[in-house]
Amino acid sequence: MELTITEHIVRINIIAPQGRIDAFCAPELRKQFEVLLGKNEIKFILDLSAVTFLDSAGMAALVSLLKAAREAGGDVKLVWPKEEAAQRILRLTRFDRVFDIADNQKAALSSF
Amino acid sequence: MLNLKIALITTYPPGNGSLNEYGYHFVRFLRQKTGVAEITLLTDDLPEGQSYPTEETPGLVPLQIIPCWKFESWHNPWRILKVIRHLKPDVVLFNIQFASFGSKKIPASLGLLVPMLAKVSGYPTIVLLHNIMETIDLKNAGFNSNPLMEKLTRLFGTIFTRLLLTTDWVALTIPKYVEIVEKKYHTHNVLLAPHGSFEDSPALSLEAELAQPLQIMAFGKFGTYKKVEQLIEAFRLLQSENRPPLELVIAGTNSPNAPGYLEGLQQKCSEEKNIRFTGYVPEEAVARIFGEAAVVVFPYTSTTGSSGVLHQAGEYGKAVVLPRIGDLAEIISEEGYTGEFFEPGDPSALAEAIAKVLDNPERRREIGTQNYIAARGLPIAEVVDWYLLHFQALLELRDQSANGAALPQPSGQPSGQPSGSGITILDFGLGILDCMVAIALNLKSKIKKSKIG
Repeated sequence: MELTITEHIVRINIIAPQGRIDAFCAPELRKQFEVLLGKNEIKFILDLSAVTFLDSAGMAALVSLLKAAREAGGDVKLVWPKEEAAQRILRLTRFDRVFDIADNQKAALSSF
Repeated sequence: MLNLKIALITTYPPGNGSLNEYGYHFVRFLRQKTGVAEITLLTDDLPEGQSYPTEETPGLVPLQIIPCWKFESWHNPWRILKVIRHLKPDVVLFNIQFASFGSKKIPASLGLLVPMLAKVSGYPTIVLLHNIMETIDLKNAGFNSNPLMEKLTRLFGTIFTRLLLTTDWVALTIPKYVEIVEKKYHTHNVLLAPHGSFEDSPALSLEAELAQPLQIMAFGKFGTYKKVEQLIEAFRLLQSENRPPLELVIAGTNSPNAPGYLEGLQQKCSEEKNIRFTGYVPEEAVARIFGEAAVVVFPYTSTTGSSGVLHQAGEYGKAVVLPRIGDLAEIISEEGYTGEFFEPGDPSALAEAIAKVLDNPERRREIGTQNYIAARGLPIAEVVDWYLLHFQALLELRDQSANGAALPQPSGQPSGQPSGSGITILDFGLGILDCMVAIALNLKSKIKKSKIG
């Protein structure tokens, strides 16, 4: 019997911001995304469980990462924020239907 | 990869109907997107002697402009649908508000039927609705002064909102508006797509660039809920105080619903040389007009949605003075903006609010910087991406449905249904029910009043 064993390692970056993601701090988050994308990273988990507030400027930062990652053949999975103030924009923009969103990091990892 | 043919029903410069500027900037960025193969604008007819731009720019998505509707016309549904059917677009997008197709009830209503008819005709349809009837102060917005007519207008507003909701998605620009519509209409095919700022990344205007004498500027289409009489009064008050000379710049045109309004005012102020009426401001002059202003004033008597002018003021880092009406303060703070507020109807309160900004460069910079950051947070180029993502999701669901797969319905959401299947007799029934409930409530309150009387 011949046996071929291949190891396939998938690099997934887990980013876990904390606190508010709004117009004031979204530019910093975008910068971090750009650094990672610049290193050809294309698969991401954004763990929003510790995010306390998300506004549309913050949402725009997440969508820009999704767009860039998908264009490069990757994807972005989210972990649901615990706070209602952070869940609200995700629901109102209906991006809860565009992003894959898991309840925790483990579930998000297994969805890749 | 998408290869979309998009039909966009909108106003567009040099047409001066409301939302023309939003249409212009939306299209400007839509043309730069990969995944879009062709854009056709279904615009309003221009007055004789004017024409839409026809030149093609290499590297941009091809743009075709077909004038096929007219403000106040009863023929708009037939004309627009005929063009849509001829084009056979992948998606149809409407950039509208309640009075886009007319200020009179019948043409306005007929125009609002078009999105539903496009959907019924089998085209995936999204409506970007810039205002909702539930938050418009009709009396102050200049639509109705008669209470009975106001109730009737609201009733029709409810019915037409329900009919707009029969399309695949209704996009609203303010989070609170989405929640109001979800709650009132028990629907989930409404989503938040914020207004977005028009410019890519203009530099923050510096104090040194301000015109001298300092300018107080109001920008927009005036005459209905944007009225400048009290601003002129406030300006006179400011000038009578001991401060350096000022200039009041009223930039823009009449609202299509208020012809002759600015001309009348201009005549009354003809002796006051430091009150300047600019008339129509072409796109290339917008940056200068905002850049030179020390403060941008919003002389509104009502709010009808997210303010394009506020976003523009933010793009140029301008301090703003706003009326304390309805939930405007809450709305702008949700979008990250700030400003100085005044009680509407009182020119001295307006003068006081302007003075707080005008006389305090520190405060002016503070407000301007916050507004600049808010505006840069979400450029319209990214809002356009949001629409493309929703188009993609919509078409994927339609394809799944065509292939016989069960449609995912997260949270019991009805959206994403295959084209043409979203409208049921139930929708019409609910519209009629709205009508009957409102009439019954109206009668009940009248009976109560007559008993009390």
